[in-house]
Amino acid sequence: MLNNLKENEIEVATKLINGGLSMAKSSMEQILQSPITLKKVDFGIDKEEVSKFRSDADNVNLIKTELMGELKGSCFLVFSESDVEKINRACLPAELLDDNSAESKMMILGFLTEIDNMVAAAVITEFANFLGVDIYGNVPSLHVLAQNKVNEFLANETTSFDSVIHFKAIFKGEELDIAPDFIWIFNEKFMDKIKEVL
Amino acid sequence: MSKVLIVDDSVYMRTLIKTALTDKGYEIVGEAADGETAINLALELNPDLITLDNILPDMMGLEILKVLKEEGVTSKVIMVSAVGQQTVVNKGKELGASEYIVKPFTAEALIEVVNKVL
Repeated sequence: MLNNLKENEIEVATKLINGGLSMAKSSMEQILQSPITLKKVDFGIDKEEVSKFRSDADNVNLIKTELMGELKGSCFLVFSESDVEKINRACLPAELLDDNSAESKMMILGFLTEIDNMVAAAVITEFANFLGVDIYGNVPSLHVLAQNKVNEFLANETTSFDSVIHFKAIFKGEELDIAPDFIWIFNEKFMDKIKEVL
Repeated sequence: MSKVLIVDDSVYMRTLIKTALTDKGYEIVGEAADGETAINLALELNPDLITLDNILPDMMGLEILKVLKEEGVTSKVIMVSAVGQQTVVNKGKELGASEYIVKPFTAEALIEVVNKVL
């Protein structure tokens, strides 16, 4: 699909993706009250590339937001367990973290899904406004997975699409020392819409 | 004291909004995590203000606005959502929302909007 695109179409897609990620970065900085940098941005069309996630953590917290509306796709924000611990310690009150009640646990998990909700929505808003499409993210779902199950999970996510465009960024928070992965997959209509706006 | 109903599927967000508003003297009369509960509570409690998330597990905030309008609910509504698309913001206002605040926001920003609406 990408190899069928003209240079200006690729340029617009790249700008749009970078613009969306930049909005997501700002959202994350606002939520975490800490500077974040975009460490790496890759994008491509090879489905198998989507499931090349690597992590040294034993378990990861993967938060999925399914895209609803005129474009189909999903995004995934993936935190290692130590990232989650650092974020919680930095952003949530100690009395909440030390409280073992079910309500407090729900609040703590809710904070993580809310981060995903806002970060994903920043990208969705950028894309929706630029492409003139009606899209929104569904309620995020949290999946705690063994590190070696993440790629299987991501591979399954692409099976319903004939072809995909995907992009991946790593947010780096130096002060918090976190590096979550932010992975997006879209069906090929994404590129059709880019062609339409040109 | 103004009565507020908070509608958001995230217990984290509900708590954040509740804390910000109660600190400024607003009374939280109810909380809802889904659309159906939100509509029932709005009809039952007749709050002065509803803070309404746009993406809920069972329905969209925009649909809730429509139902509230049809049912004659006169509460002021502030849409509180991570979705900041212009079309959604405009539609919310068309359906009767007084203001639209995009997440993430600070407690001060929320209070400013609430004070403006009430």
